[in-house]
Amino acid sequence: MKKIILGVIAVTSFMYTSCSSDDGNAPLDMNQVIAPATYEFSRNGATTVDYNGQTTRIQMGEELISALLDPTQSEAAIDGMFAHVEGENNFSNADLNASNKSIRSKTAASTDYFSANTTDANAIRADFDGWIANQVAMVYPSWNNTATAGNAGNLQELGGGAVRYVNGKGLEYNQAVNKSLIGALMVDQMLNNYLSTSVLDAGNNRADNDADILAEAKNYTNMEHKWDEAFGYLYGTDNATSPLLNEDSFLNKYLSRVENDTDFQGIASEIYEAFKLGRAAIVAKNYEVRDQQAEIIREKISEIIGIRAVYYLQQAKNFLATDKAAAFHDLSEGYGFIYSLQFTRKPGTNAPYFTKTEVDAFIAQLMEGNGFWDVTTETLDAISDEISAEFNFTTAQAGS
Amino acid sequence: MKKIFPLVVLLIITACSSGDDTPTPNNGNGGSGIAFDRAAMLTNLADNIIIPSYQALNTNLNALVTSKDNFIATPNQANLDNVRAAWLTAYKSWQRVEAFNIGLAEQTAYYFQMNTYPVNTTDVENNIASGSYDLTHPNNNDAVGFPALDYMLYGLDAIDASIVAKYDTDAQAADYKSYLSDLINQMQSLTQDILNDWTNNYRNTFVASTANTATGAANMFINDYIFYYEKGLRANKIGIPAGNFSATPLPDRVEAYYNQEVSKELALEALDAVIDIFNGTKFNGTTAGESFKTYLISLNRSDLATSIINQLNAARGRIQELNANFTTQINTDNTKMTLAYDALQTAVVLLKVDMLQAFDISVDYQDADGD
Repeated sequence: MKKIILGVIAVTSFMYTSCSSDDGNAPLDMNQVIAPATYEFSRNGATTVDYNGQTTRIQMGEELISALLDPTQSEAAIDGMFAHVEGENNFSNADLNASNKSIRSKTAASTDYFSANTTDANAIRADFDGWIANQVAMVYPSWNNTATAGNAGNLQELGGGAVRYVNGKGLEYNQAVNKSLIGALMVDQMLNNYLSTSVLDAGNNRADNDADILAEAKNYTNMEHKWDEAFGYLYGTDNATSPLLNEDSFLNKYLSRVENDTDFQGIASEIYEAFKLGRAAIVAKNYEVRDQQAEIIREKISEIIGIRAVYYLQQAKNFLATDKAAAFHDLSEGYGFIYSLQFTRKPGTNAPYFTKTEVDAFIAQLMEGNGFWDVTTETLDAISDEISAEFNFTTAQAGS
Repeated sequence: MKKIFPLVVLLIITACSSGDDTPTPNNGNGGSGIAFDRAAMLTNLADNIIIPSYQALNTNLNALVTSKDNFIATPNQANLDNVRAAWLTAYKSWQRVEAFNIGLAEQTAYYFQMNTYPVNTTDVENNIASGSYDLTHPNNNDAVGFPALDYMLYGLDAIDASIVAKYDTDAQAADYKSYLSDLINQMQSLTQDILNDWTNNYRNTFVASTANTATGAANMFINDYIFYYEKGLRANKIGIPAGNFSATPLPDRVEAYYNQEVSKELALEALDAVIDIFNGTKFNGTTAGESFKTYLISLNRSDLATSIINQLNAARGRIQELNANFTTQINTDNTKMTLAYDALQTAVVLLKVDMLQAFDISVDYQDADGD
């Protein structure tokens, strides 16, 4: 089945290319660029694709979110996973301990959005620090208490279902961290850093790529590598040549979820295709085609965030009256996706679909008073509709 | 599979409509033009099946209250045996109402409070030790109802005399008595409320709600029925313990795990209830009224009605071949369990795809997509 789909993608790509060549917009000659069937690129018989740093950060993220559900962990231990320093034993995986990568240093750290906005970047990182601190200081001591409005503790879903651990407002901090990281790390780095001309064309990147000058001791040009790093934030733990999806707890997983909604079926192949064609365009030194693919990826990846934000607010409505644990779980995931909206990227602009100020206002509405304990379906619908209105989908399409 | 289904329905609807020259309003009769009396079906369900089933359960729970009162007044083996017998009788009559998750039952999450298993014995013991608990709280769904009683009556010790001692000479005997008593009283009280709502209020609403819309009682009831068959019966009683949803079998997930003798008896009772609802057979009787079966026949789908009945009976045959205790069956020959599951699963497709298509009704539930 997957093989057939990929075959179709290849054909679609070819058709797209030939169609475009018919329109009169010279001098763009897209015939030069034909995406390969899979994300495989080589030079002198060896692969030029490398995104191990992204894979490492995704794996660090997995350990981080697991630790946030382990009440034996200290704040310092979890902080160590978030802001790892090379050589420290923060993780169970020795390779991660040896790595010089850290999640925190790449959180809200894109060139386009944050290089000249360290104030917001610091505030965003402080949010993550605060969620971690509160999980340890407020939720872990209440682990065996039943949560009530204003008091942290646990809540079990109906019918002996999953147990959720929430703060006094009903928020699961682990979900806030997990889902907000999708925006602040994966989406921000991908859309506002590695796919940006400011990064792809930084320094001598374009001249070097034109002249096939490779990065020092590497088999790739710097520009090729930047594009691969964007790719790695989505597919870093997946199979690059035949993505399975749902292979991590972050962006890869939620692309799978959106793809499995019939309203959005096809989005996964659109994104994969754009990554392949853009990378092929770099090899072909056709930067116009490259940047067009970057715009497609920005739109589609941003949609994933918007769709899931609306989805969870709408799902929560079904349980708000009868099953607090299920509703709060949905709302906690929605909280993170709403937070992530500030890292999305409107195609053709240098701006997100929702600014930090707008996102903070949504969050304030959700957290008002006793938070999820007294949020109304009217509020959830109002926020859902405001989000949907900025995207090419309806609340109904995203909500089911 | 789930995702393909709506497309198939759409195609078929389109095909039907295009071949139909005279536009007819969508009356839920599958476009055949033959009017089926949905009100008569709902009336038969309410008056001859649903309400009598709740009455029987309520009567049996009242008997359980009485035997429990005797046992905590005089804890001995004979009185324990009486409570156990009353528990089993009530548990069997529960199998005839679990599918009716509609009206007040749905609003109060009734069935989660009556039959969530496996029981969480840690929660039960914590409640007993603390003496402070809200039995209606969702956190306690797995510490109440028939499964909690299964533990309280059979699981406190391997030896009956020691179980009696828990309620008699144990230092915490008063707390065990209180919890046992509170559990049973709560089950009776919840059931009384549902029964009263049916007889005094909801029956008329239900019978009148014939529209083929997502909120019509007929559509909701049919969905509830299929959902129960798929989840409460197929998955909970057979599939989950047989390991069909996990890496390895989970023999401690069977219904009435601590009793160790009746998981098959309960499953057969549940399947009989499913068959009787389908046929419209009166509670505790043999005559039948309007039902899903006659609805299908009115749509010229007696072939499908026959297939469904044959498949449910085939599944019944498979279950009858199992050990009385499913835990034993799973541990000795799990293949027989998975054969029973497969036979049940075959009927899911007939009910959920073919029957709903014939009725032109949409599925109103979906598998949770996890996180």
